[in-house]
Amino acid sequence: MCDQPVTNTKEARWQKVLYERQPFPDNYVDRRFLEELRKNIYARKYQYWAVVFESSVVIQQLCSVCVFVVIWWYMDEGLLAPHWLFGTGLASSLIGYVLFDLIDGGEGRKKSGRTRWADLKSALVFITFTYGFSPVLKTLTESVSTDTIYAMSVFMLLGHLIFFDYGANAAIVSSTLSLNMAIFASVCLATRLPRSLHAFIMVTFAIQIFALWPMLQKKLKACTPCSYVGVTLLFAFSALGGLLSISGVGAILFALLLVSISCLCPFYLIRLQLFKENIHGPWDEAEIKEDLSRFLS
Amino acid sequence: MAARGKDPDPPPPAALTCASPAECSLSSTQSHTVCMVSDFFYPNMGGVESHIYQLSQCLIERGHKIIIVTHAYGNRKGVRYLTNGLKVYYLPLKVMYNQSTATTLFHSLPLLRYIFVREKVTIIHSHSSFSAMAHDALFHGKTMGLQTVFTDHSLFGFADVSSVLTNKLLTVSLCDTNHIICVSYTSKENTVLRATLNPEIVSVIPNAVDPTDFTPDPFQRHDDVVTIIVVSRLVYRKGTDLLSGIIPKLCLKYPDLNFIIGGEGPKRIILEEVRERYQLHDRVHLLGALEHKNVRNVLVQGHIFLNTSLTEAFCMAILEAASCGLQVVSTRVGGIPEVLPESLIILCEPSVKSLCEGLEKAISQLKSGTLLPPADIHNIVKTFYTWRNVAERTEKVYDRVSREAVLSMDKRLDRLISHCGPVTGCIFALLAVFNFLFLVFLQWMIPDSLIDVAVDASGPQSTWGRQCSYSKQRDQNSSEPSKTR
Repeated sequence: MCDQPVTNTKEARWQKVLYERQPFPDNYVDRRFLEELRKNIYARKYQYWAVVFESSVVIQQLCSVCVFVVIWWYMDEGLLAPHWLFGTGLASSLIGYVLFDLIDGGEGRKKSGRTRWADLKSALVFITFTYGFSPVLKTLTESVSTDTIYAMSVFMLLGHLIFFDYGANAAIVSSTLSLNMAIFASVCLATRLPRSLHAFIMVTFAIQIFALWPMLQKKLKACTPCSYVGVTLLFAFSALGGLLSISGVGAILFALLLVSISCLCPFYLIRLQLFKENIHGPWDEAEIKEDLSRFLS
Repeated sequence: MAARGKDPDPPPPAALTCASPAECSLSSTQSHTVCMVSDFFYPNMGGVESHIYQLSQCLIERGHKIIIVTHAYGNRKGVRYLTNGLKVYYLPLKVMYNQSTATTLFHSLPLLRYIFVREKVTIIHSHSSFSAMAHDALFHGKTMGLQTVFTDHSLFGFADVSSVLTNKLLTVSLCDTNHIICVSYTSKENTVLRATLNPEIVSVIPNAVDPTDFTPDPFQRHDDVVTIIVVSRLVYRKGTDLLSGIIPKLCLKYPDLNFIIGGEGPKRIILEEVRERYQLHDRVHLLGALEHKNVRNVLVQGHIFLNTSLTEAFCMAILEAASCGLQVVSTRVGGIPEVLPESLIILCEPSVKSLCEGLEKAISQLKSGTLLPPADIHNIVKTFYTWRNVAERTEKVYDRVSREAVLSMDKRLDRLISHCGPVTGCIFALLAVFNFLFLVFLQWMIPDSLIDVAVDASGPQSTWGRQCSYSKQRDQNSSEPSKTR
């Protein structure tokens, strides 16, 4: 009805309904057009230091990978005795184990209902099996060239960093995949060490730093944020120190990476928020907010 | 859709019943040759498919020549004729996903150009933003200097990556299209935002139902129980999860309440689980997939129609149900509030609680007898939407479009670059140039003059039904429309 002379425009008010024939052309644009448009209703305002605090999870994980590689390098060069690493690892694991329960006063344990006996059992099973299979581990990749092993380890550790559960709610996050990739990388690297005892200790250390350490971190972050910041700084400086003892350039680059992630990226995120234009309106797919699974349980 | 069953042999014109002559409006001053393009057409079934079919039939009735181009469905390929000389080209193009063809933007040009030249098409009318072929046809039509019209049948969000990408493609596709048609005002707002269009070139023309297909039949329902009907595909977007919460809640409260659920889909399993869990086998009937012709027979068995969609541009289902005389309870999403007046629909928020309250309100009205009788509801609804009205309004769009100039190549490139952003704009401008060169090459290979002109099956020079001169004469003299379904 594009050509109809518009009559009664003054008298008749346009209605947003389809069932009535209205005295307006079909392409009529009313003043109320897009009046239900809303912008940025779910946009969050970020505080700089809060974002910096949250970025520490990424820093921690980068440092874990760095520490792991540094330790491996020392073992490979024969500068670090496996017994010493095993002893330190065991001691820190025990301290961590005690801390894990102390931080929240044993609430987490009560909730999960897991006994200490079960913990001890799984630790024993793991250590026995790894120790038993370490000669196999040692010769596992003899036929594979060392370059391939290094390349594979790099990809696996990168994958570990990408898929790690940093707390984001995204499809790409998979803590299982992430952990598996890290363990795979550690097995690959362990096979290049001089003896089977080295391989056993390397894999044990990987479990400690990639599986147990993040659990403790998460609890620290939730219960005592201040000490978490301290631990993160300490950990970052020790990783940097370790790297510095191997390669000065590497240490500088790594330090730059850490600074840009913890300081520049949050700044950039907050600046970009100003350009955010999220459009909402009646055309949005409705969300089901209730938990409907209760009808099936 | 008389011909659908026994296609390709169309039923004889004598078999068509006639509506009252007074109802038929006379054909417009100008006759157009329109090519409807969409991946979705019979034998596929759905809102877009029936929209194209019904609109085409009513436009033929108004003296226009209409052809339909779609892709081959299995064995159904080549040219077929449907009722009243509606010619359908089933093109042998590869289907990629969800009945939509793959697109390279170029491979369909030779075939489509041949059809456009053969049939002397003046207006390309594409349907559905999910159809790759529709966008291809728009692209080629503009290259060939034809007028283009696009009908958008669906709503889209702005939040996730996939919708960002499709919205960008829609911007490219629609920035130089002459006119766009949307099925509701909400859909218009959505399309204008998605494709950053000037709202003046977007018209709102709703869908319709054929009221003679959806008539009430109060004797089919049992009045000692209350029956709630649900007819939809059982998928997340249709809110099947909400339904799984509503069923146990209401069935526990009202012992005389039954559900009849028609439709198939991946979420059927949760309804079956609910039925199992609450032992409701005799009260919740899952009918599975319904043929369109059986929908009415299911609808008339109920008192209340429930629609739980989470997003909907227009919603034919509630209109069909209201036409059958049912009280409609629906979620307030998308274009649904525009479709029916408040006296005929109870609108609820998309939550189990709100929908249950809406249904309880409907049940109490039903029990106290304050609901309108089905025949009255039918008589109100049948005046709202008719395909003839849709065709009349679409015709006005065609009239307007045919007076507009098609953008010349340089202006089109300017529009693409200025309207679609520097990167995308330049890429598609380049593709448009390639498409033009390809067209020149094809015109050199087979000049337009060598392409045979097809015999018109519809339109002013229609040869359809010539052999049956009596019915032809009658059609012309009294301009009596034939029944379209």
